[in-house]
Amino acid sequence: MSTPTHDPHSGDRPDRGPGTSNPGTDPTNPSPASARGSAATADADPANPANPATADMDEPPAGGSFTRYFLRKLGGAATSMVLVIVLGFFAFRMLPGDPVLKIAKERPMSPAQIAELRSQYGLDKPVIVQFWDYLVGIVTGDLGESYVYRKSVSALIGEYLGPTLLLTATAAVIAIVLGLWLGQISAWRRNSLFDKLASSTSLIFWSVPTFWLGLILLMIFGGTLQWLPTGGMITPGLDPWSPAGIIDVIKHLILPVISLVAVVYAQFLMIMRASLLEEMNEDYLTTARAKGLTEDEVRRRHAVPNALLPTVTVVFLHIGGLIAGAVTVEAVFSWPGLGKLTFEAIRGPDLPLLQGTFVVFSAIIIVMNLAADIVYRFLDPRVRRA
Amino acid sequence: MNHRTRRKTKMFTSHSLRRGWQRCLAGVAALALAGSMAASPAQAATSEAPASENVLRIATDGFIDSFNPFTSFYLVPTNTFRYMYENLVANDAKDGSVTEGLATEWNTDSEGKVWTYTIRPDMKWSDGEPLTSKDVAWTYNQMMEKEEMAVANGSLVENFDKVETPDDDTVRITLKKPQANNPGQEIPVVPEHVWSKIDKPGEFKNDEKSVGSGPFQLESYQANKSITLKANPNFWRGKPKLDEIQYRYYTNSDAQVQAIRSGEVDFITGLSPDQFTALENADNVELNDGNGRRFNGISINPGVADAEGKEFGTGNEALKDKKVRQAIRAGIDTETLRKQVMQDYAQPATSFIPAVYPDWALKSDNSVISGFDVAKAKKLLDGAGWKEGSGGIREKDGEKLQLRFLTDADAPIEQSTAKFIKPWMKDIGIDLKNESSDVDTVSERTTKGDYDMYFSGWSINPDPDYQLSINTCGQRPDADGNGGTSQDGWCNKEFDKLYQAQHVELDQAKRQDLVQKAQAIHYEEAPSVTLWYPNQLEAYRSDRFDNFTKQPSDGGAIANQVGYWGYSSVEPVSEEEATGGGMGAGGWIGIAAAVIVVLGGGGWLLSRRKKSDDRE
Repeated sequence: MSTPTHDPHSGDRPDRGPGTSNPGTDPTNPSPASARGSAATADADPANPANPATADMDEPPAGGSFTRYFLRKLGGAATSMVLVIVLGFFAFRMLPGDPVLKIAKERPMSPAQIAELRSQYGLDKPVIVQFWDYLVGIVTGDLGESYVYRKSVSALIGEYLGPTLLLTATAAVIAIVLGLWLGQISAWRRNSLFDKLASSTSLIFWSVPTFWLGLILLMIFGGTLQWLPTGGMITPGLDPWSPAGIIDVIKHLILPVISLVAVVYAQFLMIMRASLLEEMNEDYLTTARAKGLTEDEVRRRHAVPNALLPTVTVVFLHIGGLIAGAVTVEAVFSWPGLGKLTFEAIRGPDLPLLQGTFVVFSAIIIVMNLAADIVYRFLDPRVRRA
Repeated sequence: MNHRTRRKTKMFTSHSLRRGWQRCLAGVAALALAGSMAASPAQAATSEAPASENVLRIATDGFIDSFNPFTSFYLVPTNTFRYMYENLVANDAKDGSVTEGLATEWNTDSEGKVWTYTIRPDMKWSDGEPLTSKDVAWTYNQMMEKEEMAVANGSLVENFDKVETPDDDTVRITLKKPQANNPGQEIPVVPEHVWSKIDKPGEFKNDEKSVGSGPFQLESYQANKSITLKANPNFWRGKPKLDEIQYRYYTNSDAQVQAIRSGEVDFITGLSPDQFTALENADNVELNDGNGRRFNGISINPGVADAEGKEFGTGNEALKDKKVRQAIRAGIDTETLRKQVMQDYAQPATSFIPAVYPDWALKSDNSVISGFDVAKAKKLLDGAGWKEGSGGIREKDGEKLQLRFLTDADAPIEQSTAKFIKPWMKDIGIDLKNESSDVDTVSERTTKGDYDMYFSGWSINPDPDYQLSINTCGQRPDADGNGGTSQDGWCNKEFDKLYQAQHVELDQAKRQDLVQKAQAIHYEEAPSVTLWYPNQLEAYRSDRFDNFTKQPSDGGAIANQVGYWGYSSVEPVSEEEATGGGMGAGGWIGIAAAVIVVLGGGGWLLSRRKKSDDRE
């Protein structure tokens, strides 16, 4: 399972290249490839546009058609998916502990009861048969039945996907807007007080463990000041579609969204900042200034659109990671989403559910990587023309 | 706040200070935010719609598979069944002893094989249908006849031969073998008129509008969100004073603590000593340091074997000698552990039946009980042939006395215990190595017998029969965990005889005596050292509710009782005293504005300032 925590020190630091005007001001650039950490992203590096070396390697050969490029990417994604499916089965079987014995622990259960549970869970069959059932299930869209919820895993994931999307999409939009906006100003005014403050604050938040930040926010705004609810998505009994219900959901959203945004927006800030710095010394900006445009207009109309190209693809990569990152935040704020479902499944251990959420999380990341590759191809005219 | 606002206004009007205010406004905004935080009144209260006066909100994080009493074995549903369904006989709040439930009286034949119960007349289910002996018999027979209906409580009817109803007010249970323990306990009785109409009762979720006989009925359930129970007007002891109980999901126990501080929930349980102490000064929060029905101990590998006596595992040979096990007990200062590790939130222990069951717990004046005694421990080891060697570690036949202590790395209490015990063992000449691991690895290794000592714990029900049974030879599982359950993997023929004797002894006083003797043997043989009986630490909102019933009623716990006493007696505190309400819209707009100003405005102003600099 890709863990939701991020490690600022993992991942390569992309070589800024000759275009970087002042590499000294950019000591801790988070790598856009830091979303790795799941097998799925192994294929993601090519989409790292900040690095000309890898980008070259992955650019389609001259004259290559889009179809070939697309098929190649699709093949890569499919391979990753197959690996994830196989890993999803065996990785969790290798975990220590017997789910049935864990349930039976400290309970007055007779041997007959334990045997009955084993057969209900299908754990009495040989592993190879279980694996076959699992493969057949995945192909037919049946991810098995959860031990704990006694419900089909696909239905459970469908049910819990909504709250997770609400949480992560809100957080993603805020983090991206905030990060990109602060990033371009930081680059434009590099070395200014604003740059130093914005960059260092974002990096501090990025280094903070999500779990800890969440608990601190919970203690200050939930327990002590009592401004915001301490957990859940909606006060039980309220209709989520009524006006009061919507306001209630928004109140419940604030703290988890702040936690998620605080720890990820640095990535967007740093990427935007680095991309824009690369554009800073370009001749076309001098031309623009010569035309009499104000600094503001030069930045907004000329520099930023160009710097956005590499940034957008990287953003796609991170959206996939953000959904996986919800596991911790959902656990702290009792948010009834996929992350919490995964957390509970690990406690179980609820093997079918764990496999299901693992496959789904990985699939989301793989799809996002594929999307990044394709979007990159469309956005960057240099790649498109090649 | 006031003078700050005034200053701001002044700045707005003064042109000469224009550059100054631009520079400062970000800082002022930050101060304003901090100020508004500090100025927030303590009674600002919860951010939600006012809770209905009479709904007890409880934080929970437990698993729920369904609310089917035949199949669910998780803690939360099991505790809920105790409120939803009355049993044939109940366990008293006072001390857990058997008391009237559906039956007003009961008796047994001379050997304890045929049990006859008289059902209280004119009882009604929560839907108004009459409740008779037929319902009891139907429930029991389902469990006896169908495997899928015996998943949760099959072991409780294993000894049942037949269940008959001579008339509507009488239930007669004929057992296969006599037993002294009342067989009518802990089996939820369901209404036949509802359950017999269900196609596959084994798969029935029973998660809305339940029909039962207990004080509360399940109204609705939303997975990972809430469970709502409504008072049952037909409960035979009378309708509870609460209208509803609402469980709310909190995945994280620290979040639960914050929720009770903010008044979003009214009751929480299972606190750690640190969380409990942290709540001591919280407003309107009353604490309950309740004596629990659990024990913690150190299980010592006596040479685990399966029911046939075939040994397995990696236990140290030295531990097969009971003198070595006794020496370990004598070398552990349980009183210091209880005070330091448990911060006194635990009762002193003797054996595996906790002190909340005074009829059964091993009496502390029993002659077999020996305390912390280093000299005695050394003497015992000398006697076992372990002589002091180099570095103070004892040796025998050239082998050092080295033992492993298996603990859960995520359990602070187990880790502290290990830290205390290591030097104590060194003192008596044992080199103890703490092997801490995740809980799944610990459970796998203990199943396989791959340990010397490990930290263990069990919750004990009012009747000691089950816990005694899992200390008998025949209950030992094999290395795959199949065949049975054993507390310490230990076997003793004398103990087995006493277990059998008490199992059929109908005279309560004689049975108590036999149970004392059985526990004394276990104590003397020392396959485990009971360290303490941990208290259940709980907290409730005293501004909203009072009159919780504890079990045992003198100093016991409120949640996780064997019975429905805890919340059934709860009464709301008078309306005027209850707090409620939410933060007004103004407050909300204030927060939002402050956040936007600080995050966005500051940056915008700084960038503006730079821009005008550029222009000049």
